[in-house]
Amino acid sequence: MVHRTLALLGSSFFFILSMVTLASSQPVRGVTDTEILVGQWGPQTGPGAPWGAVARGSGLLFKIVNQEGGIHGRKIKYSIRDDAYQPAKTKAIAKEFVDQIGVFAVIGGVGTGTGMAVRDYLMENKVPWFGPVSGARNWTHPFQKYLFALYPLYDDEAYNLTDLLHSKMGFKKIAMFYQNDDFGKQGLEGVERYLKDKEIDLVAQVSAEVTDRDLSSHVLKLKKSGAEAVIMLVMPVHAALILSEAAKIGFKAQWATSNTLCDSALMMQITKGSWVGVVNSFFSELPDSNHPLMVKYRKWQKQLEPQERWGLFYYAGIGFAEPFVEGVRRAGRNLTPDSWVKAMETLKDWQGIGVPVTYGPMERQGGKHVFYGKVRPDGSCEKLTDWIRITK
Amino acid sequence: MFGQLVVSGLAVGACYALIAIAMVIIYKTSEVLNFAQGEMAMISTFIAFTLLETHQVPFPYALALTFLFAILLAVFFELVFLRQAKDPTVLGLIIITLGFEMVLMGFVGWKWGPDQRALPFPVSNIEAYNFYGLIISKINFWTLIVSLVLMFILFLFFRYTKLGIAMRATQQNQLAARVMGIRTKWIFSFTWALSSMVGAVAGMLIAALGVLDPPMMMDPLLKGFASGVLGGMTSLPGAALGGALLGVIENLFGGYVSLSFKSVVAFAIIVLMLCIKPSGLLAKHYVKKV
Repeated sequence: MVHRTLALLGSSFFFILSMVTLASSQPVRGVTDTEILVGQWGPQTGPGAPWGAVARGSGLLFKIVNQEGGIHGRKIKYSIRDDAYQPAKTKAIAKEFVDQIGVFAVIGGVGTGTGMAVRDYLMENKVPWFGPVSGARNWTHPFQKYLFALYPLYDDEAYNLTDLLHSKMGFKKIAMFYQNDDFGKQGLEGVERYLKDKEIDLVAQVSAEVTDRDLSSHVLKLKKSGAEAVIMLVMPVHAALILSEAAKIGFKAQWATSNTLCDSALMMQITKGSWVGVVNSFFSELPDSNHPLMVKYRKWQKQLEPQERWGLFYYAGIGFAEPFVEGVRRAGRNLTPDSWVKAMETLKDWQGIGVPVTYGPMERQGGKHVFYGKVRPDGSCEKLTDWIRITK
Repeated sequence: MFGQLVVSGLAVGACYALIAIAMVIIYKTSEVLNFAQGEMAMISTFIAFTLLETHQVPFPYALALTFLFAILLAVFFELVFLRQAKDPTVLGLIIITLGFEMVLMGFVGWKWGPDQRALPFPVSNIEAYNFYGLIISKINFWTLIVSLVLMFILFLFFRYTKLGIAMRATQQNQLAARVMGIRTKWIFSFTWALSSMVGAVAGMLIAALGVLDPPMMMDPLLKGFASGVLGGMTSLPGAALGGALLGVIENLFGGYVSLSFKSVVAFAIIVLMLCIKPSGLLAKHYVKKV
């Protein structure tokens, strides 16, 4: 009787144990014993192509991580795809990532419209998505468990930039030049919010479509408004075109912009030097920074990706992947979307080469800081402030 | 502001006109709409950029070498792709040009990368002339002059040279032209070469006005096509007039009505013209060749 009971208990124990073992060995999408599969889209062609460097920069970090032995015995296998800044293509890429490649997570991804085209699809499939490369509010409103935003909000950034121009630099007549989509419009909201608080009128608001190549009438409107300072939230090509048109008709103003145009070396080159004096906000260390991580990454870049230019958009890609990697480290060997989410929620004022990030169980907006700089004649930047918190 | 809008509109319209003329030259001879026109101009401009920036070739030599490249590219395309098409229909040939456009776009992205660049150009895009209070930048002024001179040369070429007359004859009746001893196949190649050269000039001017990057011709190509439809796809003076009109109308619309809908004007014009006068402003009513 005792033997029979013991046998029953024993077999029950092994049955339960085997069930538990079976459950825990259920494969996690994109995670094998030796690899973690991640993906990123970014415009490698088309009008947003300069921002495509972000995706390549993230690739450098993953290569470095792999060179240093990987994370908990796993190497990162990274897939990069060109969506040409077109939401329809982003949709196809997201489907490929989830259904064909089976990625564990998506990193970065330039663009608001492009990201919005796939946000719901990725969340329905419980794909962790870290750091959409866009400061739109859409990533955290409504709350998404598997989506962690990093980029400082356009709205708050524009609010603070207007404050810098108005209260610190003394400009009274401020105009706005923006891209006619969520990216530009949310910046416009920030500018208007500040000016409304101070009971000042925005002297002009001028928008450009992504495909526009002739901005002569745009600049005439800005000139006619008598603007002393112009805030722009546009693509690099539009910034170059508007400065060139402004110079042609002798329109002089203080130009200021968000971190979307913070690659001063690129901007100096395409504006033939007209970028001097532009006020910029930044979300990453400056290119020549002596920050130990920047020194380390620059060294690896020369070794692993010598063909790449050490520009801000490129190494920003590293900054957009660093907190994700830290989350994977903290999640340990048992990496699942949920264990990664829990690990990410433990990041408090954690900082790599980008903005300091903090997440929590109900906090998904990690980046809340920027610093300001002004472009010098040699293309380098003079730091005007230290890291400033822009989102309350 | 009105005068300024008109002047800027004329400068950008001159570039549209050149693209329209490049398209019309081919359309007149073969009825093919060359959708690769923009990318052919773009790659020629990248060649000019490499010669000027990387190899520091003096501008006149770089220009000559760019024209040579544009000619070779067009002849290569005509000989290797279009002429080899089996029982080609016009639609089939148009699709081939679309495919070639994508090949060129991909090649440029691979070879030169996606970054935007500034084309070294002998005329400043910042300095300006002041004509009695009307400011016209040097680059806008010279864009207008270059375009007008090129249009005049083309006019003389088609009107008074044997080759120009042979091209017109080929367009009017291929069989009769062949019977009269015109080597029509050679004429087709020459047509593509001439169109590619005009496109290269437009590409360089557009890059000098703005920036150089792979998608730089997407918008101008559509506007050039709209200019052609507005002026008449079989009329060179029509294409020139269409470009100038489109540039000015677009700018005035942007300045006085709405900037958001400025880009749409070109397409509204296409629709309107096709409804009211499908042949365009200066072309005779289209009659299908039999």
